[in-house]
Amino acid sequence: MTAEVHKYTLEQVEALEVAPGTEHENLEGWVPELAGDNALREALEKAFDYRGDITITLKSGERIEAYVFNRQTGATLAESWVQYFTPAAPEKRKLSYSEIARLEFSGKDRAAGKHWEDWVKNYNEKKAAGEKNIALVPEEL
Amino acid sequence: MAIPISQMWTVSSYVLKNRLAGKKRYPLVLMLEPLFRCSLACAGCGKVQYPPHILKKQLTPAECFAAVEECGVPMVAIPGGEPLLHPQIVEIVNGLIARRKYVYLCTNALDLKRRLPEFTPSKYLTFSVHLDGQREHHDMSVCREGGYDITVEAIKEAVRLGFRVTTNATFFDGTDPNGVRAFFDEVMDMGVEGIVLSPGYSYDKAPDQTHFMGRARVRRLFRSILSNRKPTWKFNMSPLFLEFLMGDRNYECTPWGSPAYNIFGWQKPCYLLADGYADSFKELMETTKWEEYGVASGNPKCANCMVSCGYEPTAVTDGFGSLAGFAAMVKATFSSYKDPHAAKLLREYKPAPPASLVQIAEPVAEIAETLEETRA
Repeated sequence: MTAEVHKYTLEQVEALEVAPGTEHENLEGWVPELAGDNALREALEKAFDYRGDITITLKSGERIEAYVFNRQTGATLAESWVQYFTPAAPEKRKLSYSEIARLEFSGKDRAAGKHWEDWVKNYNEKKAAGEKNIALVPEEL
Repeated sequence: MAIPISQMWTVSSYVLKNRLAGKKRYPLVLMLEPLFRCSLACAGCGKVQYPPHILKKQLTPAECFAAVEECGVPMVAIPGGEPLLHPQIVEIVNGLIARRKYVYLCTNALDLKRRLPEFTPSKYLTFSVHLDGQREHHDMSVCREGGYDITVEAIKEAVRLGFRVTTNATFFDGTDPNGVRAFFDEVMDMGVEGIVLSPGYSYDKAPDQTHFMGRARVRRLFRSILSNRKPTWKFNMSPLFLEFLMGDRNYECTPWGSPAYNIFGWQKPCYLLADGYADSFKELMETTKWEEYGVASGNPKCANCMVSCGYEPTAVTDGFGSLAGFAAMVKATFSSYKDPHAAKLLREYKPAPPASLVQIAEPVAEIAETLEETRA
């Protein structure tokens, strides 16, 4: 948790009627400007939260398509790392922040459009069109 | 209470053993997620929104057994994803039973009836079936018309074959407490061992962040649902956790009580919040900054959480950890929680206006046919 996060008092928490929730950004297709260490750290924090693949370009020129599922930040970029899976390899991999030159949120955001309202709208439209057995189905793998 | 005595004995002796050993933090239930694939696509679910290559991954039976042995819990819940989609789920369940772990296999039950012959009834195995409410409510909740009927048929077959079965419901903002009470009647009529319930929680990985109750609203809802209980209702949960939901108890979260293990590793700090992963259970326990989580921490991510995976371990530890706690648990087990104020809340409850209510209605033609048959 970063220092600037607003903290609740116990009284505020107990009195909450509706949870404020987390605002999710639309990051699909985003290519962050990596001007400095902090920009890279912030972008990788967003990559950790992103529900899609990221294309990571290394300083060596190598490009990696990755689902970033973990990160650990240290005092320097060399001491900080992300952990990821690639579509091709079965094992977890680790990469130091200091090796990263470019990021692109290239993969589809799998959480986008998955709101309750989207389902209700979709359902009402299908119902009005006379469809039966209306359902959301998982995407083909 | 619907939990068998042998299971209570196992859990209570485990809690006492850890307390006598002076352990400050120890797990009670492993949340073992062998895969994230699911046969449902519920709107708002934060557990299944991954790229296909992640959804295709799964834990091996050996990885599952190693995780269980590493953390040493007496109980294992297997959520997901849909565990029945795992090609080796029977081997995983049987391996856990052989290790004398009490297993709660969480399932949407869409394929349960067909798969039942592959399993053997045991006191160690419970099917914890996702059922969020009465037919219309459940179908809307899981985004699938007809889902309720398939699930209920599977529940009845599992009960008939002698399996332990519980239902597992999550309630969100706008839940009709009268509907929930009627749902409890329906569920108990199916012959299940007990009901499991929890309020929804806007964990930040969930794509939908707008239908979650704050703690004040959760307590009002559960006070109206759980007061004036019918003697036929059984809950497969700590009665002290239910008192917590009703607002009768103040508990702090015990995130290490239900550690989660999946294809990414040991999830920090809990089953719902994913703030990173550890490679081992030891690393999870030693490197997670526990003081940064839970209501007392002021962390906004924990502000509205009253979920069972964090607070039921606190209730269980309270109940089995002292004579006073045990006495409170016994008293709670036999109380019907008479409360005229809660009864008034129920009577005066007004559902949301029709414009914002969405119900899965019978097609008009079918209603007309039903009316014709009734008249005939």
